[in-house]
Amino acid sequence: MLKKIVPVAATLAAALSYTTAASAQQTLQTVQDRGYLNCQVGLPTPGFYGLDADGVWSGMDVDVCRAVAAAIFDDPDAVEYQSVTSAVRFTSLANGESDMLSRTTTWTAVRDTQLGLNFTTINFYDGQGFLVPVDSGITSAMELDGATICVLTGTTTELNLADYFRANDMEFTPVTNENVNVLVETYLGGGCDAYTNDKSGLAARRSAFPTPDEHVILPETISKEPLGPVVRSDDSNWGDIVRWTLFGMIEAEELGVSSENVAEMLESDSPAIRRLLGVEGNIGEEMGLPADFMVSVLTHVGNYGEIYEANVGENTPIGIPRTGTQNDLWTRGGLIYAMPFR
Amino acid sequence: MAITESTSMRGAKPSSSILNNETFRSIVFQFVTVVCIFGLGWYFVTNTIDNMAQRGMSAGFGFLNVSAGFGISFTLIPYREGDTYFRVFQVGIANTLLVAVISIVGATVIGLIVGLMRMSKNWLVRNIARWYIEILRNTPLLLQIIAWYFGVFNLLPRPRDSLDWGELFFLNNRGFYMPGPVPGEGFTVTLIALAIAIAGAVLLRRWARKRQEATGKYFPAVSVGLAVIVALPLTVFLLSGAPLAWDVPALQGFNYRGGLNVPPALCALVLALAIYTSCFIAEIVRSGVQSVSHGQTEAARALGVKPSWTMRLIILPQALRVIIPPLISQYLNVTKNSSLAIAIGFPDLVSVWMNTSLNQSGRAIPIVAMTMAFYCTVSLFVSLIMNVYNRRILLKER
Amino acid sequence: MSDSTTTTKTQPLIFQPKPERAAPPSTVGVIGWMRENLFSSVSNTLMTIVGAYIVYTFLSAVLGWAVFNAVWQAEDRRECLDLVGRSGACWPGVIQWFDNLIYGLYPKDQLWRINFGFLALILWVAPLWIKRVQSKVAIGITAVMLYPFLASYFFLGGEKGIIWTVLISAGLTGLIWVWLTTFTEIRSGKSFTRTMGEMLGASGKSEEEQLKFGRLSLIGVFAISMLLVSQWELSFVSTRQWGGLFLTLVISGIGITFSMPSGILLALGRRSTMPLIRLLCTGFIELFRSVPLITILFMFNTMLPLFLPVGVEVNQLLRAIVAVCLFAAAYMAEVIRGGLQAIPKGQYEAAAAMGLGYWQATALIIMPQALKIMIPTIVGNFIGLFKDTTLVSIIGLFDLLNMARSVGEDSRWLGLFIEPFFFITLIYFFFCFLMSQYSINLERKLEAGARR
Repeated sequence: MLKKIVPVAATLAAALSYTTAASAQQTLQTVQDRGYLNCQVGLPTPGFYGLDADGVWSGMDVDVCRAVAAAIFDDPDAVEYQSVTSAVRFTSLANGESDMLSRTTTWTAVRDTQLGLNFTTINFYDGQGFLVPVDSGITSAMELDGATICVLTGTTTELNLADYFRANDMEFTPVTNENVNVLVETYLGGGCDAYTNDKSGLAARRSAFPTPDEHVILPETISKEPLGPVVRSDDSNWGDIVRWTLFGMIEAEELGVSSENVAEMLESDSPAIRRLLGVEGNIGEEMGLPADFMVSVLTHVGNYGEIYEANVGENTPIGIPRTGTQNDLWTRGGLIYAMPFR
Repeated sequence: MAITESTSMRGAKPSSSILNNETFRSIVFQFVTVVCIFGLGWYFVTNTIDNMAQRGMSAGFGFLNVSAGFGISFTLIPYREGDTYFRVFQVGIANTLLVAVISIVGATVIGLIVGLMRMSKNWLVRNIARWYIEILRNTPLLLQIIAWYFGVFNLLPRPRDSLDWGELFFLNNRGFYMPGPVPGEGFTVTLIALAIAIAGAVLLRRWARKRQEATGKYFPAVSVGLAVIVALPLTVFLLSGAPLAWDVPALQGFNYRGGLNVPPALCALVLALAIYTSCFIAEIVRSGVQSVSHGQTEAARALGVKPSWTMRLIILPQALRVIIPPLISQYLNVTKNSSLAIAIGFPDLVSVWMNTSLNQSGRAIPIVAMTMAFYCTVSLFVSLIMNVYNRRILLKER
Repeated sequence: MSDSTTTTKTQPLIFQPKPERAAPPSTVGVIGWMRENLFSSVSNTLMTIVGAYIVYTFLSAVLGWAVFNAVWQAEDRRECLDLVGRSGACWPGVIQWFDNLIYGLYPKDQLWRINFGFLALILWVAPLWIKRVQSKVAIGITAVMLYPFLASYFFLGGEKGIIWTVLISAGLTGLIWVWLTTFTEIRSGKSFTRTMGEMLGASGKSEEEQLKFGRLSLIGVFAISMLLVSQWELSFVSTRQWGGLFLTLVISGIGITFSMPSGILLALGRRSTMPLIRLLCTGFIELFRSVPLITILFMFNTMLPLFLPVGVEVNQLLRAIVAVCLFAAAYMAEVIRGGLQAIPKGQYEAAAAMGLGYWQATALIIMPQALKIMIPTIVGNFIGLFKDTTLVSIIGLFDLLNMARSVGEDSRWLGLFIEPFFFITLIYFFFCFLMSQYSINLERKLEAGARR
């Protein structure tokens, strides 16, 4: 009988012009009462939200969840990871099941404005590229006219691909799936001429190929993919907590505070460091967090540079170099930039 | 119904209060149930409106006119990246129906063959059929679709080394390519001729049946009708100068271009669906044929019915009564199971609409509602036909 | 021979059949069987050869990949690829993930709880197959009504209030009672309560009073299990950590259990004489049967939270289970309706003539016959439901399928996904085949009674 109600509900709801009610529930309070954070990640993907045989989640986006949990509870493991398919990610967040979403989600205008969600900030800058076999002789994406291309469905990647070919007046046949493994198998079997995804993902996948040297990532980057955590738009304080936890980690790297020296840094004379660690000022308390929330975050999780190197840096199987890229600190020519912590 | 009559008679005893009155109780019971259901419904609707308002989610159908902006790998009806979401919905429906129709035909043919093999006298053939059924019926379809896709179609040669038959048909891991017909001017005449031939064949059969009922004389209406259906359009086609060109696929750049292309995802999906469903159809056919008691065959022989007619006139009509209803429900299952296309990325309704479009637009409620409405319509339509059929073949009891 | 000629003189002529000659060698033994079954005609021989070829190609390809060329020991997928490339399976990944494939992400030190939970179920229903046990109906009913409490505490754990403690104790009592009664019935043919009644109530008392004592002893068992349960602490394991085969079994188990009673009610409702009830039941059944399970799961997953008041959270697993249950109920209703339609009118009339009311006639006369006819279809439905639970992976529950997929996303085994899929296919096949074979057995057994 529930079925009957859906169309009725949809039309009824459509008839009423929607208004965002101001009576937002206090997410922070809910999370504290529950005792753990519901953090949504995607289906296991190494580097960003990987799952190992012991059932432990790890990765760049998982560390963002852990940092927020550490900020609230001083315990990075007070997180329940909700791993859902990309098709239901926004509804799952919007309907209150997840407190936040941290899963390589691209910040776009439509998502930010039309889905009742807010993007907080960016923890990874990515860009879409193409992977092709070396023996195909292709050296530029402009040579892909008429090609069959493997693409992950339900992502901005899919839209960028269509845009790129339309803009360059080229034709293509997509082979879509929502499972990366399926796409990679198809690509390796020759079912498509090129595999497109965010370049970070391409590098990670190529490293697991039977013969990585026979495949090359084309130089073109066809899109901007700013990835970051998302929260519901009905609670701005909760958005601030997520945003400033991440800013704090970036600021810490800039100031040279890491998980190793955070204890010593508490005695630092630098006003910026003292404000960051809550020795001075009341930034944390105003958000409803402990004053020294960044101490917990840095002790348990680390600063931005640390989580980058631990999860996707050059010493990991993913191996994405950081120096000189967009993901380097702004002081070193990158785009990673925290708003002033004051 | 007999029981209710008897109980209502007991309820009508003079001494009983109104509480024991069957009609009264039934009315109260129904009233309470309906009130509960509607109350629940109203509760859900108000909650949904509250929830959506609070979370700032929009539920309107306005997004249907917005450009979708993603490519679709296989479209039966024309589609371009710039087309609207509503067009995507139509593309999905067309693809779902296409998969369902091809798979149903395939499943019926394979199912019939396997069902007959299952009753074969040859031990090996019988057991191959048995294990074919056991293995395929007892593993999830989702896994089978994936197996076909990777175990077979992904292992085919690349376009440059395609398997080809007479430079007309090509098979590679991008799909199956075949020449596509390009109707020229005047081809419509042939189509009209075909329509006339079909109508003629139907009339002929009707006449033959009437004559047989009246006089007992037999006329081979089926074979003559088939001959008419083939011959008339063919003659017209040739007389009008064969106005049909063929677009033969040719290797250009990365892929073959031109002609008709069946992509590997479609091949895998259709094969998996047809083969999976054929197991159930085989069992339905077997139980149908075995349900007709052997006495019927013997009686037919005793009456001197030709052996070739026994199957057609005695066994089959009785077996069909058992076969048709579960067969139709299998056909419906095929339509519903085609939604598993999502696993290998074939753009059927669920994959392209309830997954990709939902994900790109974020409009969960209208999209899910539209998807369900489509499946409900198909199913109710088939149920309607089934009910009519069931009523016609129902064993007349007293 | 000479012997018989001598006897004819003294005894009357008696018919003596000649001793049977051995069958010709071409019709007995392996050769005879082959001639009969494989090569009886030209077309038959041809079919045999083609069939044998198909079987050979299929088996050699599958076994070659899965067994002969396979790698059984390796550190990561790279090592496998270096050893055999893609011509053989890489099993170490599956072996390393074995626990996860079976139990999901359940804490590794708590796995015994799942094993115990299922062991309890097996113990509970095992007496149903013991011939001398008489209270099979009671055992079956307690298994459906009480086992879930016991199992949910095993699987979920955590804090338990007073009510919860009582329910779990009831579950434990049920299990203990099942085995006590099984023992007494095997030994003396009398149920546990009766035996206890005779022992405690001595001989002089009436039967009813003895039963009273028997019931008292049951309360005693309950008190003991209360004591046990209240001492018993299990840590809380969130349903998010459930997964693998365990989750698949939980979802399909609940679906199957729920579908029977609700399917019966819906089927009766659809055949009811009350027009509104009939309309509602028909509407429900048709709606749920006409849409694919994926869409139902999707809709429950995304919409159920919207239907409920602001702030009420429904667990994701629960949403999937609700969807599966309603779906299964609608299907079961149609199966049972088919069975009801096959019951001749005379049965209804006879029941009414015996003075049975609607519910009595349904429960005692109609339903047992209808269910018996439909056993193969019902089991077929169960199998279908079990296989359909693969779809919960699409809404992101870590069932067998999603767990298998996660193997290929582990950075050590990146890209390994055919092997785990093959493995879980075997698991599915094992369970479904078992069920279908059991149903065939059951059908034969019940048919034996009907045969004249």
